[in-house]
Amino acid sequence: MSVLRIEGLCKSFGDKEVLKDLELSVPEGSVFGLVGKNGAGKTTTMKIALGLLKADAGEIALDGEKVIYGQTASNRHIGYLPDVPEFYSFMTAQEYLYFCGDISGIEKSEAKKRSAELLDLVGLAGERHRIKGFSRGMKQRLGIAQALLGKPKLLICDEPTSALDPVGRKEILEILSSVKEQTTVLFSTHILSDVERICTDIAFINEGVIHTQGKLSDIKSKRRTNEYFLETERAADVQKLSEAFPKAVMRGANTLSFGERDYSLFEVLGFVAENKIQLLKVERAEPSLESLFMEVLGK
Amino acid sequence: MKSLVAFTKKERVEQARSGKLLIIGIMFVLMGVMNPAIAKMTPWLLEMLSESLEKIGMTVTQISVNALDSWQQFYKNIPMGLIAFLLIEGGIFTKEYESGTLVLSLTKGLERYKVVVSKALVLIALWTVGYWLCFVITYGYNACFWDNSVAQNLILSAVNWWVFGLFILSLTVFFSVLSKSNSAVFGGVGGSVLALYIISLFPKLKEYSPLMLADGNSLIFGLKEIKAYSTAVCITIVLSALCFAASIPIFNKKQL
Repeated sequence: MSVLRIEGLCKSFGDKEVLKDLELSVPEGSVFGLVGKNGAGKTTTMKIALGLLKADAGEIALDGEKVIYGQTASNRHIGYLPDVPEFYSFMTAQEYLYFCGDISGIEKSEAKKRSAELLDLVGLAGERHRIKGFSRGMKQRLGIAQALLGKPKLLICDEPTSALDPVGRKEILEILSSVKEQTTVLFSTHILSDVERICTDIAFINEGVIHTQGKLSDIKSKRRTNEYFLETERAADVQKLSEAFPKAVMRGANTLSFGERDYSLFEVLGFVAENKIQLLKVERAEPSLESLFMEVLGK
Repeated sequence: MKSLVAFTKKERVEQARSGKLLIIGIMFVLMGVMNPAIAKMTPWLLEMLSESLEKIGMTVTQISVNALDSWQQFYKNIPMGLIAFLLIEGGIFTKEYESGTLVLSLTKGLERYKVVVSKALVLIALWTVGYWLCFVITYGYNACFWDNSVAQNLILSAVNWWVFGLFILSLTVFFSVLSKSNSAVFGGVGGSVLALYIISLFPKLKEYSPLMLADGNSLIFGLKEIKAYSTAVCITIVLSALCFAASIPIFNKKQL
């Protein structure tokens, strides 16, 4: 069952085609990473799903309900955290959450209870200052709290970690992975280590098209073509190896890598033995998200 | 309804905490005091200047002022008040577009028309309270110093000007949902007033123009009958209602 289903989505800004027939399906209960470089169409896709931008073509269904531009009724299923969330800076965090509760029609007592829980979850429980003085990380955490207030079926976060320092990033990722029992999480990012840390599902987006999508583990195993790294003692030996195996890639002064599809490990090790090359290390590498991502980008 | 109340409350708190409420309050109170004060000081000022005036061949004789002078000041100053009010409040929509604060509210399912209604209500309330505060203060001082009864159609002329202010607010809301920047809002409102001014230059069209409502002096001096204003009042009310009403569908389709 998909919480969010996007079919045939197209969008242009002027003559720039940002989304080209985009198809995406976010399964319930997943932590879904939408991965793409800057300008790939991640934010545009999210904004259309929220009814903030008008699509040129295509359909979006949120929990089965069609999204109509300018009408925000379908948004009751969503919690949204923009990349740089902006709040009414004259309010305190608690006041802001009460305000959010009121405008989304949550009962006062429920809103109070929820606000207290969420402020506790994001570590802003004791904060009595107005939002004006908040750091970026604090704003991002408050952003998550306001997004979760209405117990949404889907939490959409637009690059929640990209503007933060390592500590702030870690906090946000921990909060996101701690809420996956409560809601489905869709977040966009270009930071691959964040994806590996918390995502169950991913989709790669490039130039407005989704390339690969599915369970992170499936995608990784499907693409499992083993890659080996060899580290030699002397740099000259690497030269010798790369002349004998031209498809191998130099990875440093005395390191080189090759894929199993090009050469078998034993073939290479045979050459090593014949030429009495001193090895420091032989390593089999798992396919990294980075290599998958580069493959998608065609680089 | 609950969300409309909540959003209006947010506007109210924002006005108070940003200090705008205080500034607008002080401004209208000061203006209310200044109108009679300037009238009261006129003879004294002229006396001070009498020597230098005599040198250029003007003789200052006994000058008497009454409530009419003070009301004349009121109608001379209130346009400045309205302009200052717009400078303070003109960004009520555009500031939210620029900062992106509306996005979170709207993505929570807040219907867009409630944003327009809340902001329009707050503008109308601030203008109404500020304007009538200024009026009542001037009225009070005038009653103390002189006699208000010399001014004809006083209340009606004041209502006219208040309606004119509402019309300008409706234009402000209208141009705020159309454009994205503060300057475009001012440009739109200013341009509209200029266009009306040009229309008013044609004597036949003058009585249809909302600008006629801003001419309070003709009424209090009894130069014009109240009947002469009825068409302009009706047109102004209809135009204001149209501007407010049109703002909602336009805002519904606005890209934020």
